[in-house]
Amino acid sequence: MRFVSFRLASSVLATTALLLIAAAPSQAQTRAETLRYVTGASVNTLDPNIPGSTRESFALSMSTYDRLVAFGRKQLNGKWVFDLDTITGELAESYDVSPDGLKITFRLRKDAKFQDGSPVTAEDVKWSLDRCVTAPILGKAQLLTGSLTSADQFKVIDPLTIEVTLPKPDKLALPNLATVYPMIINSKVAKEHATADDPWATAWLKEHTAGSGAYAVESFKPGEQVILKRDESWNRGSANKPAFFKRIIVQSVPEPATRANLVERGDADLVLDLQASDVQSLEAKGKLKVISTPQYNAVTFVSMNNQIPPFDNVNVRRAIASALPYDDMFKAALFGRGAPLFGATWADGKPANGIYPFQQPLKLDLDKAREYLKAAGLPEGFSTTFSFNVGQASTAEPMAALVKESLGKIGIKVDIQKLPDAQMSTQINEKKLPFFTEGIVAWLPSTDYFYRNFYTGSQRWNYSSINNPDLAAIAQEARFEPDKAKYEEAGRKLNAMHFDLMPQVMLWQPNQDAVMAPSIEGYTYEFHRQVDYRDVSRK
Amino acid sequence: MTSGLGATMVRAGRRLLSSLPALFGVLVFTFLLMRVLPGDPAVFFASGPNAGKEEIEQIRKQMGLDKSVPEQLVFYLSDIGHGNLGRSMMTGQPVLKDLRERLPASLELTFTALLIALIAAVPLGVIAALRPGSIIDHGVRLFCALGVCVPTFVSGLLLIYVFYYLLGLAPDPTGRIDVFTSLPPQRTGFLSIDFLLAGDVEGWWAACRQLILPAVSMALFVIAPLARITRASMLVSLGSDFVRTARSVGLSWRKVVVTYALRNAILPVITIAGIVFSTMLGANVLVEKVFSWPGVASYALDALLSSDYAPVQGFVLLMASLFVLVNLVVDICYGIADPRVSIE
Repeated sequence: MRFVSFRLASSVLATTALLLIAAAPSQAQTRAETLRYVTGASVNTLDPNIPGSTRESFALSMSTYDRLVAFGRKQLNGKWVFDLDTITGELAESYDVSPDGLKITFRLRKDAKFQDGSPVTAEDVKWSLDRCVTAPILGKAQLLTGSLTSADQFKVIDPLTIEVTLPKPDKLALPNLATVYPMIINSKVAKEHATADDPWATAWLKEHTAGSGAYAVESFKPGEQVILKRDESWNRGSANKPAFFKRIIVQSVPEPATRANLVERGDADLVLDLQASDVQSLEAKGKLKVISTPQYNAVTFVSMNNQIPPFDNVNVRRAIASALPYDDMFKAALFGRGAPLFGATWADGKPANGIYPFQQPLKLDLDKAREYLKAAGLPEGFSTTFSFNVGQASTAEPMAALVKESLGKIGIKVDIQKLPDAQMSTQINEKKLPFFTEGIVAWLPSTDYFYRNFYTGSQRWNYSSINNPDLAAIAQEARFEPDKAKYEEAGRKLNAMHFDLMPQVMLWQPNQDAVMAPSIEGYTYEFHRQVDYRDVSRK
Repeated sequence: MTSGLGATMVRAGRRLLSSLPALFGVLVFTFLLMRVLPGDPAVFFASGPNAGKEEIEQIRKQMGLDKSVPEQLVFYLSDIGHGNLGRSMMTGQPVLKDLRERLPASLELTFTALLIALIAAVPLGVIAALRPGSIIDHGVRLFCALGVCVPTFVSGLLLIYVFYYLLGLAPDPTGRIDVFTSLPPQRTGFLSIDFLLAGDVEGWWAACRQLILPAVSMALFVIAPLARITRASMLVSLGSDFVRTARSVGLSWRKVVVTYALRNAILPVITIAGIVFSTMLGANVLVEKVFSWPGVASYALDALLSSDYAPVQGFVLLMASLFVLVNLVVDICYGIADPRVSIE
């Protein structure tokens, strides 16, 4: 009996082993050719132009659609980041800018095909760009920043040539065409699904794709996961080859600790947006590749409403800037993972260059802060609230506690307010918050763009509600300044004004921590702060 | 028997009708509650780097927020009447579709957890009741206390840490099924049943493995009330006249405990199980978050945080309807467990 069961057991074992050996290579193959990317948020639309679309949706559209042009990449401190100054062709084989800067002519690739096999023509490009500036979608406001506002500006010259005319030579026109929104759509397919109410097929494109991108959507479950499969005919990758991975799985895993576990166990290949503490411990273990890039197009700051007393007094704002415990905040909120924008030394008291954001000569100095308070006529201090949103609690909460403690030492009594995200954005929009922390990002991080959008006007993004006509005038003028030296000078002036007026205190640029299996290569920090799946490959 | 069943059905129908005003009340109340909450969803959703006033207005119009509140309510009620729960800004899908896709996931998890809890709790309660005051009784009490005082997300994370991270026994705690497994044709929406119907044993096992950890962490939390109520009502039942009579006529121990005592003691357990089920369904949001379970509770929480009105309203309506349904099922179970209940 025992003998029989032994024989049975051994034969079962042998069979299992055989099966495993037979199954292993094929399974390993599919796994190696699949990228499993886990993320906290989720893809909520296949058309990034839909209001409310997430960053994950942006990244997805970069791979499912092509644009006329794309950003190049460069090395920054040994890490790959997108390069705003190198614009390469994507669907365009080449492009020319006329000497006066008013005409850009794109010649399309002859071999580019949509995923249904039809060729990409200038008509499709025109329809897509028309849609972007005409339909009530997000692209409209974005392209406006590059002087692209009307369908009349796009002209089909022949089936493979399209011409874009500009009212003024705008240096952001071309980069704008490389951003997420102006994707090129298969106009024949889209038109079939357009209705009288919805001539630009926004409803249909939200759930379907009609692009020429490197990947086609295999399955889409909003809020859960998207599975992409490679388009074998796509050849816009490096060395004119298709993208590396055969399949991409983009999966939502809301719990950051679970995301860390998944990548550590080797079940996920690539993860972004982990908690700083998890990244630190994963890095210390040394089994995974951790690429930390300061988000060089983003800034976290403490903002003060320049219209609400006492923050309408420049000395109060300077007092706050002198009383923030920068080093402690940086350690508590980010574990030091980022690029600080404080603690600079300006030899001649002037900004070193015209690039925004820039490092300021700020450090904790309570005596100086008290002097500023006295100059403001508030030697006893005052009471205020400091707000942050729940979504940023993991970094903002320890920061808020330190702000409260430090300001308490100079008599400023701070009440910490933790607001739900929707409530926070409403109050910011209505300019009701006196003192809070927020973060900004610009896809096209040029100095004038930052100042125009975040330091002028009455729109929501002017967090500090600063209203300085000189600053606004310089920023507006710089936009169309073709001369590089003059542009740099304008930037320098703006930066000096920023430090003098101190509308808000820039703190740091947080790191984008990408944690991945050691075999993953080619990760690049992109302007949309997500992974471009076309960048990565497996060794 | 037929007349008994008929009476039960009539009773069930009447109960269902009488709950309609309550459902309507819930509908209006949630609607108003969402409107008085601070935070403008349009501003939140227009959060792109270039979303200005125009975009905010557009979203407001899309969500119907440009109308007055009474007008919105009328539109909302008429939409509900047409079976339209609105559209979620978060997922971009109709709320009804979202809920239909996600409800089976929550139900499957909750049913499994309840089943595990009952399988563990009823015997525990019975054992404790048979030897009140003994070491076993105290042991059961300790176990229940531990289960109920550890929050579900803590037990969930602990289970993940031990069984997935350290031991590697459990599959990765993301969703209902391994991403590399192909799904069976959808029939019931319950993966464990659909895989069986499709004859895919491997898939069934994969789905079950995925289900175990979240279900256990939820079950741990509700074993306590179930076991305590079983113990209490078993004690009453064991001390009653009919059990003494049954014992005295020399019936076997098994027959006395299981057939007479337990059958009479089970009524309160059914009531509690019904209540526990309804609360679990809504309260398992943390478990759903920890295990990336694509259920309705985590969906509703995300919606609430971003002031996405339609999904929250849809979720509350769904929960209210389920509560009515669960009460009904409890009533019917009563009728089966104790036929006297059916006679009014």
